[in-house]
Amino acid sequence: MNTTAIKIENLGKEYVLGQKKEGSLRDLLSSFFRSSKREKSSFWALKKVSFEVKKGEVVGIIGKNGAGKSTLLKILSQITKPTEGRIEINGRVASLLEVGTGFHPELTGRENVFLNGTILGMTRKEVKAKFDEIVEFSGVGRFIDTPVKHYSSGMYVRLAFAVAAHLDPEILIIDEVLAVGDAEFQKKCLGKMKDVAQQGRTVLFVSHNMNAVNSLCSSCVYIKDGELEGQGGTGEIISRYLNSTELNTYNTSYDENEMPGDEFVRVTSIDIVNKKLEALKTINIHESFGIKVSYQVIKKGSFNPLVNIHFHTSKGEYAFVTTDNGKEGHVKSKGNYQSTVWVSKNLLNVGFYNIDVAISTLTPVIVHALLPSVLGVEVIEDVNLRDNDYKQEIPGVVRPKLNWETIKI
Amino acid sequence: MIKKIIDAKIHSVLPDFKELFHYKDLFYTLAWRDFKVRYAQTTIGLLWAIVQPLITLLILSLVFGRFVGVKTEIPHLLFTVAGMSLWSYFAYVLTNSGNSIISSQDMVKKIYFPRLIIPISKAIVGFIDYGIALLIMVILMIYYGIGPSINIIYAPFFILMGIIAALSVGIWLSALTIRYRDFQHIVPFMVQIGLYITPIAYPAEFAMQQLPKWAAPIFYLNPMAGVIQGFRWSVFGGAAPGNLIFVSLGCTILLFITGIIYFNKIEHKMADFV
Repeated sequence: MNTTAIKIENLGKEYVLGQKKEGSLRDLLSSFFRSSKREKSSFWALKKVSFEVKKGEVVGIIGKNGAGKSTLLKILSQITKPTEGRIEINGRVASLLEVGTGFHPELTGRENVFLNGTILGMTRKEVKAKFDEIVEFSGVGRFIDTPVKHYSSGMYVRLAFAVAAHLDPEILIIDEVLAVGDAEFQKKCLGKMKDVAQQGRTVLFVSHNMNAVNSLCSSCVYIKDGELEGQGGTGEIISRYLNSTELNTYNTSYDENEMPGDEFVRVTSIDIVNKKLEALKTINIHESFGIKVSYQVIKKGSFNPLVNIHFHTSKGEYAFVTTDNGKEGHVKSKGNYQSTVWVSKNLLNVGFYNIDVAISTLTPVIVHALLPSVLGVEVIEDVNLRDNDYKQEIPGVVRPKLNWETIKI
Repeated sequence: MIKKIIDAKIHSVLPDFKELFHYKDLFYTLAWRDFKVRYAQTTIGLLWAIVQPLITLLILSLVFGRFVGVKTEIPHLLFTVAGMSLWSYFAYVLTNSGNSIISSQDMVKKIYFPRLIIPISKAIVGFIDYGIALLIMVILMIYYGIGPSINIIYAPFFILMGIIAALSVGIWLSALTIRYRDFQHIVPFMVQIGLYITPIAYPAEFAMQQLPKWAAPIFYLNPMAGVIQGFRWSVFGGAAPGNLIFVSLGCTILLFITGIIYFNKIEHKMADFV
């Protein structure tokens, strides 16, 4: 009996820059007349990647944005062809790189379930058999015969995920599909994925959420700059990933058409700044620093989106969460906003911290944007600036200066 | 257990027909979606599918039958509707499949399924237009009291050739439009010209008389020239089409085979292009 589900050998994918977008007839015609080939620059999104996944394994794929994880999933799901190498897949594959693919706003929920189900590779008969279960799971119930253009974004995502969750493949490939949606539904999704894993199916799971990877996956593959950096037990690989300096990110900004968010709010940029709002490249424990989040409210809703920031240690544990304490009930109008939180000096200990940034409304809970591990910072220290002569490492997640009183009694 | 090999070095020339068959429900669902959405939020809905061909038919007959005075053995209106039924099907498939992959790019970038399904499903939706045009034809036949000829047994063959012609040009265009967006502008132009250079509202013999001898085979390079002439002959009889009709039919088969091969060749790169 063959126990290998997926075997990847020497996989490589080259993208020719400039060719990625549409070609034109003019290029084609002019290439007939010009003998010298134009220098084309290219880059390898993946290079010499080899690994094997056993049947029934749940494997997490981790790595920085742009490391090549998505390219790997696209090749595995046959969306694009590799430039080099070979893959052997044993079993029926379903891949879920996005929920709701093919949903049409003019069609009702019921019609979209059938549409999406068949796009994902189910037969109409299979969809029919699972239809009640899907509706039940999604919780959209009596709106099932309403065109989905009238759905809230939450309902839309729930129905879309419900269809995907009822696929019955032997191998399931999942990209970070849980980025938006309310917390309760996210929990339900993770639960469903755990069930799938326990049924002995093979799952490949890409995520930036280390807690989710940790709780779901038995082993992990770590990809760095298109190459395989490590493979092994989840705990070991996650800590290697989180400790690597490649994660240091002190700012990030998004192009107009790539801003993460939903129909109400979009994140434009995130920066680590000093008191003068200048960009910081290093963080010193003796100085406070700010995290400046710029965002746009593009459609006025009846709520007040607030920025919240989550700090994780290099081991993946939560350090703390802080939320913009703007007034509840206040509604934000359309426009550009900038929220800055000041992390006081002597709060975080020396070490590496992963920072998630989210924008959410608290009542009702709506996550407009969630950017896991969007920043990675190293808190450093000049030991000579300590107010004592102790020069050794001081353990702990935090290192607050507390008030001490010592009296002679 | 399904075993799948993805190898950078292996390129198959023909698509995996077994896999296409496995996705048969998707053809149906996509075609049905297009149909549902096509007249959504219009006031007269499906009536559009009847009004459009009817008006085109009347205009064509007015211009060619009355103004130009094209002579036909059967009433000109009836003559034209037979040609127009296949032509409107062809035009629908062309217009819609050319853009089909670009307009489903969300799907193409995120999910695997045989991409050939997208243009083929457009060819299925077009059956509705074809059916409506045929219905108009039958009603006109009853009105004029003209029954079908004995040649009607050949009609299925010409209808099949019409479907293959539409499909093959549609497949070619959907694949080309991804690489060369210029085709987005070429397609409407092709449809517009085709309406005149195809013997829809005039007999092919009429064109043959006016054209120099060397131009006749070129006239028949248009797959629909032979298909429409043949279909009309099979329904109403009359003089059998000349040997040049085989140029059209050969052209159709050639376009079909090369279209599938070209499509299959760039299928795996589509997600990188769109």
